[in-house]
Amino acid sequence: MARYGMALDYKNCINCKACEVACKEENGILMGADKHRIWVGVKEIKGEYPLLDIVSSSFEPSQCQHCESAPCQQVCPTNATYYDENNVVRVDPDKCILCSYCMNACPYDARYVDDRTMTVDKCNFCSDTRLARGETTTACQATCPTKVRTFGDLDDPESEISALLRTREHFSLKSHLGTKPKLFYLT
Amino acid sequence: MAEVVKKQGIKEFITSIPYNKIGLKDLMSFEKTPRNIIIAVITFAFLVSFVVGVSLYLIHGHHAYNVTREHPWGLLIAVYIFFVVSSTGLCIVGSLGDVFGFKEYEMISKRAIFGSIVTIMAGFAVIAFEIGHPVTMLIYNVLTPGFTSAIWWMGTLYGLYLTFMIIEFVFLLKHDMRMARIFGLTGLLVGLAAHSNLGGVFGFLNARTISNGVFYPTYFILTAFITGIFIAFIMMGIRYRLSFPENAKKMLTNLAKIQGLLIAILIFFVTWKMLTDIYGGMPNRSEVALHILGTWTFWAEVVLAMAIPLLIILKSKGSAIHAMFWASLGGMVGVFFMRYNLVHDTQLKPLQMMKVREYQLAPEWVHYFPSAAEIMISLGGLGLCILLYYVGTKLFNLDAETH
Repeated sequence: MARYGMALDYKNCINCKACEVACKEENGILMGADKHRIWVGVKEIKGEYPLLDIVSSSFEPSQCQHCESAPCQQVCPTNATYYDENNVVRVDPDKCILCSYCMNACPYDARYVDDRTMTVDKCNFCSDTRLARGETTTACQATCPTKVRTFGDLDDPESEISALLRTREHFSLKSHLGTKPKLFYLT
Repeated sequence: MAEVVKKQGIKEFITSIPYNKIGLKDLMSFEKTPRNIIIAVITFAFLVSFVVGVSLYLIHGHHAYNVTREHPWGLLIAVYIFFVVSSTGLCIVGSLGDVFGFKEYEMISKRAIFGSIVTIMAGFAVIAFEIGHPVTMLIYNVLTPGFTSAIWWMGTLYGLYLTFMIIEFVFLLKHDMRMARIFGLTGLLVGLAAHSNLGGVFGFLNARTISNGVFYPTYFILTAFITGIFIAFIMMGIRYRLSFPENAKKMLTNLAKIQGLLIAILIFFVTWKMLTDIYGGMPNRSEVALHILGTWTFWAEVVLAMAIPLLIILKSKGSAIHAMFWASLGGMVGVFFMRYNLVHDTQLKPLQMMKVREYQLAPEWVHYFPSAAEIMISLGGLGLCILLYYVGTKLFNLDAETH
């Protein structure tokens, strides 16, 4: 029993997209630009040379925020979307009816349709693969060359993520919506 | 033993439902006027397009539709809403006479209640091909119900509503007005709850600020009543071929007056919705509202479903029922755009997670245009609706009992 979350030291991201590749490889995700479980958002540089606003450029790795109050879970008519014992927001493909309500309700655009099962899929913190094998890291974290991602148990005060969140300032995406994301962006 | 008696009682109850014995020949024996032939050909074409559209869906699955990750709800959702709004509206109109006891509206009760059954069945036929796994839905809606989901409540309540409407219709056919009133009132309340939950499906979307809030759950009830009156005009116009008897004239004039009030309220609602959406420049809301004001589909909704009918009603004080028949046909086109707009506009604004590889460049607006399969299934829903209603007019006496 854990309460898994992820801290992202996003300013370290170099947009190599190794995390996207590792995620697809580990979890057997279909290829295709709209089949992202995780992605790297890019903010372009604003302004014109020589007055370039270089601080406006950044890379923002993102994925399902594993909200504690997940809109996708609340709107699911068959409870196909559920919280597992580790508080990870998961989808049971046997129960998913593909009404797509969760896709519309998710503020983070984190859900997509898996063309093999024709059900909605999303990041599950490698619960079917690495966590199921007893590991405590995710593929995207393990592969990141600049150590952007730190995955761990938020309830364990000794975990690396807990220490990071105690010592580094951080923010969450669209926190005004009250979704209580468990992805934290370190500043 | 008691069970046998009960079974026999039910059997007798069902076998004693008054209906006309008809065959295919009777169905084909309509007056061969050019107008009737055109309607028959169009209905047949719609039904063929339904078969083709469903075949495309069965072959290609959701890939036959133009729905995308960014715009997961398309035309079929809009058409489903169009039909269930029509059904709820007809239920309200039908209830005026047999539930609330307004005598002059009793002449349309049976027809409207039958119409409500037909329209919701057409809606279910359309949504069955939009939901990816309808059988799974039937199973897990019961086994693991999502009580916090507006879709669960909407679907479950509409299922109950259809049951109550059918029972009410049977009692109306049997002229058992007391039982019809009981089931009619229950069906009406369940239908209104279902319908406002359908509004809630959009109202609960915190992520979509253009739809989030109390507006849609209440607006849906108002527009259902308006839609019901439009269809009442169409049904009565076709029934009497625009040569209305005195009692129909009186009823339709009164319905037109109610319609005038309802449309005025609707205009008030929509105006304030737009003003509050735009005012203050709230991100993701004001620019969407301004974008909506620039689309022709919004103005089609305003002109056809609001401006033209209201002007006719105001000018004639509700007595121009011929003009209202034609305005109601146009009004239903406007109501269709109303449904399409609310579905599309909800998803207009990208959620801005900066997925540049998915979008190439972050788009300002999410684009969507229905695919051929979506259009064919939608037209097929209309064809089914017309066919079922036509069969109903042959099978049952939909006019008020004279005794």
